[in-house]
Amino acid sequence: MTSGRQGSLHPGLQEIECRVQGLCKRFGDYQVLSDVSFSLFTGEIFGLIGPNGAGKSTLLECMTGLLPVDAGTISRQGRELALADRRRYLWYQPDDALPFARQRVRAILSFFRRMHGRDEGDVTELVTDLKLAQVLAKPLHTLSKGYRRRVLLALALLSRQPLLLLDEPFDGFDLRQSLAVMELLRRWKKERTMLLSIHQLSEAEKICDRFLLLDQGRMPAIGTLAELAGQAGLAGGATLEEVFLAFT
Amino acid sequence: MRRARLLLQQEICGLLLAPALWIMLIILSLLVGYSFIQAVDLFSQASRTALTFPELARGMNPLDGIFVPTFGAYYLAETLLLPFVAIRLVGLDKQSGALKLLLQLPFSPLSLCGLKLSAMGVVWLLSLLPAAVVLFQWHLLGGHIFFPEVALLFLGHGLYSLTIVTIAMFAATITGSLPTAAMFCLSITLGSWVLDFTAAGRAGLPAIIGRFSLAGLLHQFESGLLTTGAVASFLSIGLGFFLLSVVWLHPGRRLPGKLAASLLIVASIASVPALSTFMPGYRDISENRRHSLNPADSQALAQLDKPLRITVHLSAGDSRLLDLENDMLAKLRRLVPKLQIRYAAGKASGLFSADRDDNYGLIEYEYNGRHDKSYSNSRQEILAIIYKLAGIKVKAQPVAVYPGYPLVADAGASRWLFYLVLPLLFLCGWLYSGKRL
Repeated sequence: MTSGRQGSLHPGLQEIECRVQGLCKRFGDYQVLSDVSFSLFTGEIFGLIGPNGAGKSTLLECMTGLLPVDAGTISRQGRELALADRRRYLWYQPDDALPFARQRVRAILSFFRRMHGRDEGDVTELVTDLKLAQVLAKPLHTLSKGYRRRVLLALALLSRQPLLLLDEPFDGFDLRQSLAVMELLRRWKKERTMLLSIHQLSEAEKICDRFLLLDQGRMPAIGTLAELAGQAGLAGGATLEEVFLAFT
Repeated sequence: MRRARLLLQQEICGLLLAPALWIMLIILSLLVGYSFIQAVDLFSQASRTALTFPELARGMNPLDGIFVPTFGAYYLAETLLLPFVAIRLVGLDKQSGALKLLLQLPFSPLSLCGLKLSAMGVVWLLSLLPAAVVLFQWHLLGGHIFFPEVALLFLGHGLYSLTIVTIAMFAATITGSLPTAAMFCLSITLGSWVLDFTAAGRAGLPAIIGRFSLAGLLHQFESGLLTTGAVASFLSIGLGFFLLSVVWLHPGRRLPGKLAASLLIVASIASVPALSTFMPGYRDISENRRHSLNPADSQALAQLDKPLRITVHLSAGDSRLLDLENDMLAKLRRLVPKLQIRYAAGKASGLFSADRDDNYGLIEYEYNGRHDKSYSNSRQEILAIIYKLAGIKVKAQPVAVYPGYPLVADAGASRWLFYLVLPLLFLCGWLYSGKRL
């Protein structure tokens, strides 16, 4: 069992999937990430919580290697992951991407399916689960924000990397849709580990096993909700919102 | 390999769905049609006199009269429109966030850029359709086509387009938005055009600099001359910008590493055109052998083993120097192993400045300790002086005389083809792509 700064493990979460150590990132004079360290356990859903501008997307891009870091390492099974190796273990789905926007949704899904070596059945299942059937023949750029988010989610779930990083996966969904997406993520997670960057705390509380609070590039707390409540000196049964307000 | 083919298809689809491509093709059809009809009209006017005088007929060359002016439309499209299509290859992916996904797929930046460039190459073939129609129309009108020199013209434009595309790719990798990338790319291509324009009609150093501008390199292909220097320069510029795009594509690479790699690429690539000047190679592809002397003369000049020094007392703006430079000096540069040319005239220009320099207009020759001089820039006279200094006699070999191909024709009927059929065809292609892809 791991404890303290990393937070404790849930039963069944034994293996460390990925370890982030001392990550620092600065844009000019602005320190976006400051000594961020945490571990992800195989099979867990890990929530990266923080207000807008906290550095969540930057952290995900640094982990994926899409941004150079000033300091820090990303390792897996005790081995530091080089830039070229990360794409074998991590798939990062940015929230603002609109890939091949002029192409039809069907063609885009088919491209990523074949790239990731998935069956057509997987796409069919995702199309059904995400209710994409009626937009399959439409170009991506003509879709509403909600549908674009669903297509992006489908693209992310088609990937096969063991660690899936999703940036704001519930953004653009209403409550009912968010609950459906949570159910979908749980179903599609299988053996994979998920790191979700979320600013909607109510959604995060419902789906994540553990949380990392990020505020202005620093990490004031990490752990399960109960552990965070304890660290914040709150009574058991405190919500994530209360915990977050106590720490930030 | 399967994934590479998939991505290539995806990139081609992306380009075929881009309105910029089809707009470029429609404009290209109109420009090519206008240039062709005008060229045929002017060629016909000149041919009317030439048909009665065989001497004049020898000057009627379809390459200069028809194909080069028609391909001038391609030059415009490649310089001003092609960058807007090519910038999308990387720029749109950056803007839409697609690049973040592509970089996570199992492709290196080198493969990604290579596949994008290949996709552009496939799509570029579409732009050859108006040129193919020109060849077909000219053939139908009874015009003469010498395929090697037309093929060289295609090669020149292919290399020019490749260079423009790689510049556009690089512009898109280092800039944050499509308009900025377009401005960056156009500043290079138009800057090169200005360089060529400044050098036009001038001899000496400005002409040498102009020859290495992008347009200057293209002119060599337009004149029917295939040189290792022009091919190596185009390829090295293209390869240089391509490799720079590869280096700058990945946002995860650190700046010092990118700068160091860029310096290495620039240093390596810059040396390629320089190396090609030490290993000059050329082939005269023109049907009228305008870049060649009589084979006997070429052989004799190539065997001159001592330095041949030529001092030219003509200023850079003088048309006589321009004639001398483009004809005999260019040929001597390619043939004589140890040629030294010195431009002795200062700022004096033209006949009215001759009184300032008694030697103005004179061309001095020195070979093996012997001197001679002349005011003539005629080919026969210059060769006679050189042979006299070298103490050799050369007997010209009999060669076929270029007959010239004057033709009086009316290309007016083909305006429907260029102004209506081709644009409609491209418009249909645009709509079809939008519906099917």
